[in-house]
Amino acid sequence: MQAQKLQVKFFARDEISEVALVPVFHEWIKQGVVSDELLIDVADYSHVPDGPGVMIIGHQADYAVDRDGARQGLTYSRKRLAEGDFAARVQDTFRRALSSCVRLEGQDGLAARFGTGEVVFRIQDRLLAPNDAATVEAVRPALEATLAKLYPGQQATIESIGEPREPLTLRITVSTDASAAELLARLSA
Amino acid sequence: MSAPTWKDRLSGEMSPEMTVEIDTFEGQIDLKKQGKLDDKFFAETRLRRGAYGQRYDNGLRSDGETQRTLTFPQALTKGPDTQWDAPGMMRIKIPMGRLSIKQLEVHAELAEEYSDTILHVTTRQDIQLHYIHIEDTPDMMRRLAAVGITTREACGNSVRNVTACEYSGVCSTESFDVTPYADACMKYFLGHPDVQDFGRKFKIAFSGCHENPCGLVTFHDLGAVAKIVDGKRGFKVVVGGGLGAVPVEAKVLAEFCPAEELLPLSQAVARVFARLGEKQSRARARIKFLVDKLGLDEFKRLVQVEREGLRVDERWTENLKDLTRLDEKPIRPGAPLPTEGPAEFLAWAKYNLKPQVQEGYYTAIVKLPLGDFTSRQARRIADLARDYTGDGIRCTVEQNLAMRWLSGADALAFWERLADIGFAEAGAGTITDMTSCPGTDTCKLGISSSRGLTAELKKRLTLVEDKLDTQVRELRIKSSGCFNSCGQHHAADIGFTGVSRAAGGRKVPHFNVVLGGQWAHNAGKYGLVVGAVPSKNIPKTVQVITDHYVANREEGESFQSFIERVGKKDFRGILKPLQVIPSYEEDKSFYSDWGDPREYTIGDIGIGECAGEIVPFVEFGLQAAEQELHGAQDILDTAGGDPAVAAAGAFQSMVTAAKALVRHLDKQCRDDADDVALQFKTHVADPGLFNDPFVGNKFAHFFLGLHASQRFVGANKEIAHKCMDEAQLFLDACHATYQRWLEAANQAAE
Ligand code: SF4
Repeated sequence: MQAQKLQVKFFARDEISEVALVPVFHEWIKQGVVSDELLIDVADYSHVPDGPGVMIIGHQADYAVDRDGARQGLTYSRKRLAEGDFAARVQDTFRRALSSCVRLEGQDGLAARFGTGEVVFRIQDRLLAPNDAATVEAVRPALEATLAKLYPGQQATIESIGEPREPLTLRITVSTDASAAELLARLSA
Repeated sequence: MSAPTWKDRLSGEMSPEMTVEIDTFEGQIDLKKQGKLDDKFFAETRLRRGAYGQRYDNGLRSDGETQRTLTFPQALTKGPDTQWDAPGMMRIKIPMGRLSIKQLEVHAELAEEYSDTILHVTTRQDIQLHYIHIEDTPDMMRRLAAVGITTREACGNSVRNVTACEYSGVCSTESFDVTPYADACMKYFLGHPDVQDFGRKFKIAFSGCHENPCGLVTFHDLGAVAKIVDGKRGFKVVVGGGLGAVPVEAKVLAEFCPAEELLPLSQAVARVFARLGEKQSRARARIKFLVDKLGLDEFKRLVQVEREGLRVDERWTENLKDLTRLDEKPIRPGAPLPTEGPAEFLAWAKYNLKPQVQEGYYTAIVKLPLGDFTSRQARRIADLARDYTGDGIRCTVEQNLAMRWLSGADALAFWERLADIGFAEAGAGTITDMTSCPGTDTCKLGISSSRGLTAELKKRLTLVEDKLDTQVRELRIKSSGCFNSCGQHHAADIGFTGVSRAAGGRKVPHFNVVLGGQWAHNAGKYGLVVGAVPSKNIPKTVQVITDHYVANREEGESFQSFIERVGKKDFRGILKPLQVIPSYEEDKSFYSDWGDPREYTIGDIGIGECAGEIVPFVEFGLQAAEQELHGAQDILDTAGGDPAVAAAGAFQSMVTAAKALVRHLDKQCRDDADDVALQFKTHVADPGLFNDPFVGNKFAHFFLGLHASQRFVGANKEIAHKCMDEAQLFLDACHATYQRWLEAANQAAE
């Protein structure tokens, strides 16, 4: 699987104020909080119903607190320059999504909290990852390897959601109370 | 196994012309990466294909305290001062705003895979996708080409998107449906040699009638208003309109131009503009300045002379033979609107549905916030079109979508499904339906945040919408981030244009307040500039202006008449208190813009690409010829490459170069080799203009001789090599000739 454009979304437990988020994202750019990514600008789409919300546009990846599917969450979207084989890229995408969840949770005045029992994994590339059963099977081993690290001893369910016109989208559900920080620690161990 | 490519996947689904064009562009990207193309040339090349720059693409961005360097991975550039890796914008031309269901779905895919999932409708019926990497553009173009869309000439100094009323063909006040005429115009000028050598862009608009605003012809470089005289279809043609810092109303070029004469007349206008329009000073390069400089009568005379000298072109009328070819058919039986239903639905039906001339059908306006919608919403809208209205979707100049052919019987179900995706808001064409250019969000020239302001005004006005005075509710608000006026604020009742002011050694974002513009009558009148107000006081300004109007209007007096009656002075007095800037210590919020907490600066303003790079057409031709010759050489160098194909390629490169020189002399010339050879001989070789100081006309004979002998047909390797050598010498001579002409022109100017 050669696709680069991997996306991971963790859902917000409580409403995150978009007005409060805009300065936070500007500060992330100013501080260069992601040392190996170039963060460029903030795009505010909070006026679009169920849209991408507030985003950081980066060179390698975008970060958004979006409302896609009418549910708020943090979405990390890798666009290019991901390293390693597919399994490594999947794990890296989860790690970066989780780091930003943890970073947002630690942000004063935002009261952000993310659930970890439901995740959406998407590949935004219809050429390299057509939305069909064969791709799901091709993706599964790498995804399961990451999920095994994230949720040791637990069975995660992977189901394909959405319609054929959409990019390949998988919903992962697992019964867990773990925090984003715990998941991140497990991945980094 | 090599990775699949869109090029392979879509081969056979694109037209041969688009296939070649996109492959050529991809080749130019490669050449640029190898350092073989110069910045200016590449910039104009990409602009002409719709790949535009974006804010911060010079690699500098203020974080509110200091200007920081954005260190992109590659040190390459894609234009003067434009970083290769910096995100850019892709402008996709949607002629007349017409979108099919399939085309909309492809846009959704592109927004998701290459952009940020947002499709943005512009005030000229285009769709823009932002944050695009230049290396993704060829595949995006291929995917669009496979559904019949080109981005060619979406930017740059050429004919931009041809626009037309979104109600064309379904409107009760139109003289006739302008769609097939606008389509013929778009097809005729796309890539036409007479529109390649402009000093600036050239915008054309069509309107079905004079009274209503939809076509907005009065602020276009060329406008055509449908008219029937003695039972014959034709157009009132206007020229030289424009917004920008100095808005100019277009002047009448012809009170009535028969329909079949429209393209030759427009071509004559284009040729006069290409020949005499300003090329050095961009600020004065639009056609409005040429019309002004020459005077309308002289301009008309020159156009007339040009028209008489045009060689007949069958394409002038080719696309007019079948005027029904673009007709849309309803997919559901027409029926009246229900008179009952939820209050929100009835309010929506009142403002957002316009009855069509065809009984039982309505055009539904889907109000898009700031012209934005997501990929997911685009797919849902495509589904709605599939189920209720068919392919007749149009982007509107007010940054909405018009969905035509909605049966009254389906209106409630349609509205309920719009509600599911968040787009059931009423109030199309009212005070909450605002227009804004991209401003400082993404535009390199933006001074103030027009989108930030518009979002804020919309939020506030939506809350009080129901309580607003009826006449106030029907006012239009439009905002532009700078004087270039892309938000068309001059034609709004209340318009705003971004400016900056200094206070206490700091910069403060402001908007100039422009009052009393007229949207009706094709933007019949421009507003008055009343004064600049700090951005953060604009919401209060709207309140004060509308309160003043409500309190002081005369019985039945419209807002425009009121502004005319009370004049600027009155409003200047009213705005005065709002123009006061609190000190930084008192209120820091005044020193940042709407939606952007960074301390305001104008240091982020870059060099705009609206104007394009001025690369003369002849230089494009010579560069293209070089590339054709390289391609031919590659074929010859490849094992198994057909020498006859290589030789034909070498000859074609000579045709391309010769054509460029002929056209540079402003002589008409078709694309075929026979005509190019004839015109080259007549206008370049025979008058001695190609004479080399040492070898005379020798190199001209390489081309003319090869054309006469056709030696390249079926050439073997030896002949192919000879053709290649002759082509290279001919191309070198073409470059040298052009240089001599330039030097002579410079000396003459001195
Ligand atoms: S009006 Fe100015 S800020 Fe707005 S899009 Fe045009 S050039 Fe950019």
